[in-house]
Amino acid sequence: MATVRIREAVRRRSPRAPRSAGEWRTMTLTGLGLLVLVTVHMIANHFVVRSIGGLRDYQQVLAYIANPAIFTIESLFLLFVTVHAMLGLRGVLLDLDPGPRLRRWIDRGLAVLGLATLAYGYFLIGTLASRA
Amino acid sequence: MNGQDLPGTERRDDVGPVLRKGVGIPASGWFDPRGRALGGFAFAVNRVTGLGLVVYLYLHLAVLSMLLRGESAWSGFLRLATNWLFLSLDVLLIFGILYHGLNGIRVALVGSGVVPDRQKALWWALGVIGTITLAFSALHIYGSR
Repeated sequence: MATVRIREAVRRRSPRAPRSAGEWRTMTLTGLGLLVLVTVHMIANHFVVRSIGGLRDYQQVLAYIANPAIFTIESLFLLFVTVHAMLGLRGVLLDLDPGPRLRRWIDRGLAVLGLATLAYGYFLIGTLASRA
Repeated sequence: MNGQDLPGTERRDDVGPVLRKGVGIPASGWFDPRGRALGGFAFAVNRVTGLGLVVYLYLHLAVLSMLLRGESAWSGFLRLATNWLFLSLDVLLIFGILYHGLNGIRVALVGSGVVPDRQKALWWALGVIGTITLAFSALHIYGSR
């Protein structure tokens, strides 16, 4: 009887959709990757250059992004952060307990938003690197 | 032993503070901080910082778009971005990254079964690391003025 009551309480209180193992693994792996990439990004952009806030001027930004190692790191950072952000947003939205139809729209919308973010981000990085 | 003999059965229907452990999200939503245990509080803050970081991601892309408009546009932004208020937002950003990142380590370690029974100790230990890192970062950023 008590088990039934607990199950009922869980069903009522937990609209969180079950996450697939693959989704959890992707979230964790991108998260672990981001720990490294965001550390490099923050140190490079706030703690290397001797200026207010460690911010680079225009020429310094171009020289920075044109470095092949930095270009690779920033490209990976954009990929990891976008995938992680879209999966995180999906988790938050699915906790609102949408119906199957709305859920499909959420998946499509986030896929489009993620692809648009990647496209614009790579355009930005590529354009700036080409100006150096 | 039937159900009536169990200890505390007479108090089951009493209204009182409930620490919601292991029964999912309260009906009022994950962002409701009332009566939560540490795990629920950590989860809610993790989500708030996560949403904040997503907003910041798009704000950051918008700001970086100024680089496409050339040197003068970027220099104008730098004059604005090096004032006290903007540097404080940088410190707030670092707080969000540290909390979300370090709590993510805790969730990964607990969720993957590496240390399933040490989540409170991990939260406090990583909290100390995060606080020290945040203090160092804030000193560095404000000290650069």
